[in-house]
Amino acid sequence: MANQEKKFEDELKELEDTVARIDSGELSLEESIQAFEHGVALVRSLNQKLDEAEKKIEVLVRDSQGELRTTPYRVEAKNGGEEEE
Amino acid sequence: MNHQGELEFGVRKPRALSVSQLVRMVRESLESNLDQCWVVGEVSNARLAPSGHLYLTLKDARSAIAVVMFRSASERLRFRVNDGLQVLVRGRVSLYEARGTLQFYAEEIQPRGLGALQLAFEQLKQKLAAEGLFDVARKRPVPFLPRTVGIVTALGGAALRDMLFILMGRNPNLHVLIRPTRVQGAGAAADVAAGLDELNRDGRCEVIIVGRGGGSLEDLWAFNEEIVARAIRRSAIPVISAVGHEIDYTIADFAADVRAPTPTAAAHLATASKEELKQRVDETAATLVGAMRGVVAAYRKDVAQLARRVRNPAAQLRQNRQRVDDAAGALNAAALRALHDRRSRVTHLAQRLRAPLDVARELRNRAARAALHLAHRLSAMVQARRVQTARAAVNLGRSSLPQRAGAHRRELAAHTEHLIGRMHRAVEMRRHRLAQLAARLDSLSPLKVLERGYAVAVNLRDGHAITDAASVEIGDELEVRVNRGRIRAVTSARQT
Repeated sequence: MANQEKKFEDELKELEDTVARIDSGELSLEESIQAFEHGVALVRSLNQKLDEAEKKIEVLVRDSQGELRTTPYRVEAKNGGEEEE
Repeated sequence: MNHQGELEFGVRKPRALSVSQLVRMVRESLESNLDQCWVVGEVSNARLAPSGHLYLTLKDARSAIAVVMFRSASERLRFRVNDGLQVLVRGRVSLYEARGTLQFYAEEIQPRGLGALQLAFEQLKQKLAAEGLFDVARKRPVPFLPRTVGIVTALGGAALRDMLFILMGRNPNLHVLIRPTRVQGAGAAADVAAGLDELNRDGRCEVIIVGRGGGSLEDLWAFNEEIVARAIRRSAIPVISAVGHEIDYTIADFAADVRAPTPTAAAHLATASKEELKQRVDETAATLVGAMRGVVAAYRKDVAQLARRVRNPAAQLRQNRQRVDDAAGALNAAALRALHDRRSRVTHLAQRLRAPLDVARELRNRAARAALHLAHRLSAMVQARRVQTARAAVNLGRSSLPQRAGAHRRELAAHTEHLIGRMHRAVEMRRHRLAQLAARLDSLSPLKVLERGYAVAVNLRDGHAITDAASVEIGDELEVRVNRGRIRAVTSARQT
């Protein structure tokens, strides 16, 4: 759960702030270039974050020892339990 | 039994009954005459005994009756039977033989007005709210772009299919971890709670959706149970509740970090649309590039403006340089003039160095001539006087005035003497002046000048002192006179 790296939305916000800072015209040319490079790095990181998770649907089950483990999800899988609706 | 009682009371003569007999007879009489019924009243002195039996007093404005509900029945109660509650109690009246007291044995209790489930819902809601379980401060935001989403629901339910459809559609990279549970019926609530705990133990999910599709209040009941609410609150991972339809509110909804009106909506809340995000990132990236272009363009414009302004200083610089050049020229000219002045002064001095020699000679000659002239004039004058005197003597002689002649002769002698004295003084004066001039001449002597370091250069070709470099040819031999001695030099270069 603990996410060490920066969150997507934080980075996106940072990117938007960076754009705003460059747009404000308050930065020197040097600072603008630095901010721009930072922004480009953020864009790269953001795109990477959008793609990085791998598509996977799993089911958490208990094995015979009572340990938790995951098995691939199959749509046909019926738990034979409750009906809904 | 009734007829027996009647017989005993009515026909036979009275005989003593044991208490037990009496109480049993009363009980039997009550039970046979009073069938099961519903009683309306207000609950007071409600007390759940450790045994699980529920005791209370049911009362109205005028009367009260003790009520007991055995554990088997009280366990099925979904709401809490609190004092003051208006209830409908179904059961039968009987006698508690141990104490001989009248008791109503309740099988079922329903709240008046509300349904039992509704009441239970309200009661639990109040209780948990009082505990702060629903506090807004406890609500955690759902992560914006979770990589793994957990789902606690029935594996075969339509809710799961709907959620998966939305989740995978919005983010094809998503990892979904499903914890199958029962969602209704006995044990469903405990299963849901265990599912939440297990997903927490697994720890991979960044957000959990717990819920099920629509159904009756009974069907959704598991999500109104305290155990589920507590499991939701206990979860370290943010929980989205998604129970039934939009109109269905459950305790789970209040406990969850976010309540989604439906499972489909929960799937939307759980993960952002990758396409939308990609678009947003692309757009922001384009804005970034645009902003940077703007900055560069602005600086370029500044530079152009500055360059235009820089041109003036350049002109200024040129002007300054010209002024420096002018000044240098002037300085040069001044230096040349000064040099020329010095040179002409030296020339002049050189001329004057030569001249005094001639001047002295000339003066001496003139003095000699003047002395000679003076002498001539003196003798002429003396001669003239002598003639005059002689003439006067003749005239005197003619007048025969010897006395006057003697007087004239003496006068003449005095005159002559005076004249000679004056002449001597005049000569003496001139001699003195000559001496003065000679002294001055001496101070102007070239030797004196040479003593001060000047030199006289004489071109040996023509013997003239050199006053003009142009008069000297390369190769001319020069004699340079200095204070002491002479130097022979050969002209190697000249500058005019």
